[in-house]
Amino acid sequence: MEVGGEEFAVGVVISAKTTLGEEFEGQIVSFDRPSNLLVIQEGVGRAERGERRNVRVIKANYIQDFTVVGKYDDPLDPAACVLDLAAIHAREEAALRQAEIEAERIGVGVTPEAQRLFDALSKTLPVQWDKTDIVVMKEVRVCSPYLPENVSGGTSAANERVKKVLDFERKRLHVRVPGQF
Amino acid sequence: MSRQQQQAPLRASANGAPHRKLDSGRQDSKSHLMRSSSGGFTSAENGGKLGLTSPSRDRLVYVMTQFTGHHVDVHVKNGSVISGIFHATNTDKDFGIVLKMAQLIKDTSVGGQSNPADVLRKPDTMIIPGRDLVQVFAKDVTLGGDELPKGPVHDKRKDLMIDSAISRSHFPEERELERWAPDEGDSDCIELEKFDRKGHRSWDQFETNAALFGVKSTFNEDLYTTKLERGPHMRELEKHASRIAREIEGEDTEDLHLAEERGIYVDEDLEQDEEIKYSAVRRDTDTSKLKSFMNVPSSAHPFDPLTRPGSIDTKDLQDEESSSHIFGGTHLPVTAATSVLASEYQSNKPFPADPNRLDDKRSKDSSSDKDNRNLRPENTLSEGGRPLVSEDPEGASSRLRASEPSSSGQGDKSPDGLAPDSAVPSKLHSAPEYVNSSQIPGSSTSSTSERVAANSAASAPGLSPSSSMGSLSSDKSTLNPNAKEFKLNPNAKAFTPLTSPLRPPNPPAPDSTYYYPNSMPTTPGPGLPVGMGFPQAYGVQPMVYNAQPGPPPPPQGYMHPSGQQYGQQMMMGQTRPVYYYAPEMQQYRGGRNY
Repeated sequence: MEVGGEEFAVGVVISAKTTLGEEFEGQIVSFDRPSNLLVIQEGVGRAERGERRNVRVIKANYIQDFTVVGKYDDPLDPAACVLDLAAIHAREEAALRQAEIEAERIGVGVTPEAQRLFDALSKTLPVQWDKTDIVVMKEVRVCSPYLPENVSGGTSAANERVKKVLDFERKRLHVRVPGQF
Repeated sequence: MSRQQQQAPLRASANGAPHRKLDSGRQDSKSHLMRSSSGGFTSAENGGKLGLTSPSRDRLVYVMTQFTGHHVDVHVKNGSVISGIFHATNTDKDFGIVLKMAQLIKDTSVGGQSNPADVLRKPDTMIIPGRDLVQVFAKDVTLGGDELPKGPVHDKRKDLMIDSAISRSHFPEERELERWAPDEGDSDCIELEKFDRKGHRSWDQFETNAALFGVKSTFNEDLYTTKLERGPHMRELEKHASRIAREIEGEDTEDLHLAEERGIYVDEDLEQDEEIKYSAVRRDTDTSKLKSFMNVPSSAHPFDPLTRPGSIDTKDLQDEESSSHIFGGTHLPVTAATSVLASEYQSNKPFPADPNRLDDKRSKDSSSDKDNRNLRPENTLSEGGRPLVSEDPEGASSRLRASEPSSSGQGDKSPDGLAPDSAVPSKLHSAPEYVNSSQIPGSSTSSTSERVAANSAASAPGLSPSSSMGSLSSDKSTLNPNAKEFKLNPNAKAFTPLTSPLRPPNPPAPDSTYYYPNSMPTTPGPGLPVGMGFPQAYGVQPMVYNAQPGPPPPPQGYMHPSGQQYGQQMMMGQTRPVYYYAPEMQQYRGGRNY
């Protein structure tokens, strides 16, 4: 059931609430009836070249209720809508690359605390995940629960160093977020 | 691209149910709405199909396409939220979403933990079917189109904030500036700024390092600097040291730079512009002293060195231009002795400076420099014969040679005077670089007579080879006194480097072939003799590394086995044998390091 299908005109600014409890406000960019998708941009008026807006594509049937805030001009200029596919591809690739790098840093199936320790260690030492073990400098291994006793491997100097850093980071983390894990 | 729907392998989706794989990223691009700059978008298809060409549909597709590559949050029916990089949507059907590197952010499905952050999952590609889709929320989308690509692409700019891109863009123009405040917990940074009154940091890096990482430092300051003995004598030592320092610093000096530092006034009338003062290469030992090479007898020194049997080869003196500069700073007695010795040893060694001379030189260094300079312009030939005779050790020696047998007596000056007179001019002509100027008028006339007397006395070699050897090192000599004597080996093969000693810029031939003289497939014929010569020469001759820049022939590339060049090198070899340090060649064989 489409709610207010006729009122979803381009350029209208609405304030709405979804069935999932979310509230938002924005200007209608488009409403596609067959798919029932409403495109809303946050921020009124035409976005200039390079100007960024938050955009929402929402299925209209999830809109619980809404109010019309105002009526404005078409925020999209059909003549100026150009898709630079090369740029889009590039952007996607860059984003994927970045995400992969970040994903490498995230341990699979590790506790957030472990992840925090990992992040803290990675500031000064080269660290990698090996299942749920943190491998430092490819030599020293820290197993769950990531206490200084769990540090093993590597030269004694490296070992000691990792222990120290681990200890230090634990203290720091505990001081910063007491009670939180 | 086919539009068939395929049975996809089980793919993760929001609710875990297997579903048909959606046609990945089929996007209708409506020509009247969108102009694509490249046709490389694999999932795009031109031409409106299915009759869904309404403007609203177009807009929707446009916006969804703009999402590509953005991080989006997809809300699904059950309330869960999935975050990932927007990859594609099925615009034909129900607008299912394909996300890459997607993760469940908020899981409200049955059986899911309330806080999914307990266990993080590895990001993966996710497909959300259209029927589950509630909302796609994307941040920072450029609905108005990307900025014109002037440099790196718009979003790439976020990755690499290069200066030109930053300065080029005017977004954002002005910002409300806030004073920086450290984040909580970053109090470590503040420690770096702990200074005490004196400005010394109250922070010991070694101590901190040891505490943090258990690293023990082996730094010992005394390894790098002299240890000061702090004790009761410290005061005295300091006073003593500073007195010495003051003495040294107040010293008069010839060196222009030092003089300037010390504030000593230097003659302004000397033509010295900035270049000479500060940047030109100073060749004090060479030219200046060479020009001021004078047979100026120093006073009150026994002329012993000159009592050698003069067997000077004028030739030696003449072509010893290089050695003449060794005379630099030395004066008549020096020159006499050196010339004498030169003849004896026929070597390139610096002319010996015997002890007498050395002392003499040191004491008279500055004064005699001036004397030499002053005397230089004077025409030596204009002086009388007698002083000239006495001043001219070369002449004297040559004369000695001739007249030695006859000049037994002290008083035999006239023959000396006569013969030398004739000899001298010729001698002078032949050795123009030696300014045989008159001695310092007056002061040395008295001594000259003595000297002549001593000179003309035939005597056993006053200077023994050993003594001269020992006193070979003159202060300002630039020749290496320890160098091995040069012996011309007429049988020496001129060493032809097969390649220029400098790194060749563009090797035309494959890598190391031309370095290997024996295995050069590309250079036939005349190359062989050269190639064969190479190892031979290497084996036979003691190679001396010639540090001169550039080989004698112009570097003509790597293998020019023309016999002509070889011959050329042969000639050059005779006059100036150039030996290239063979091991260096060997290294080339191994491979170049560019």
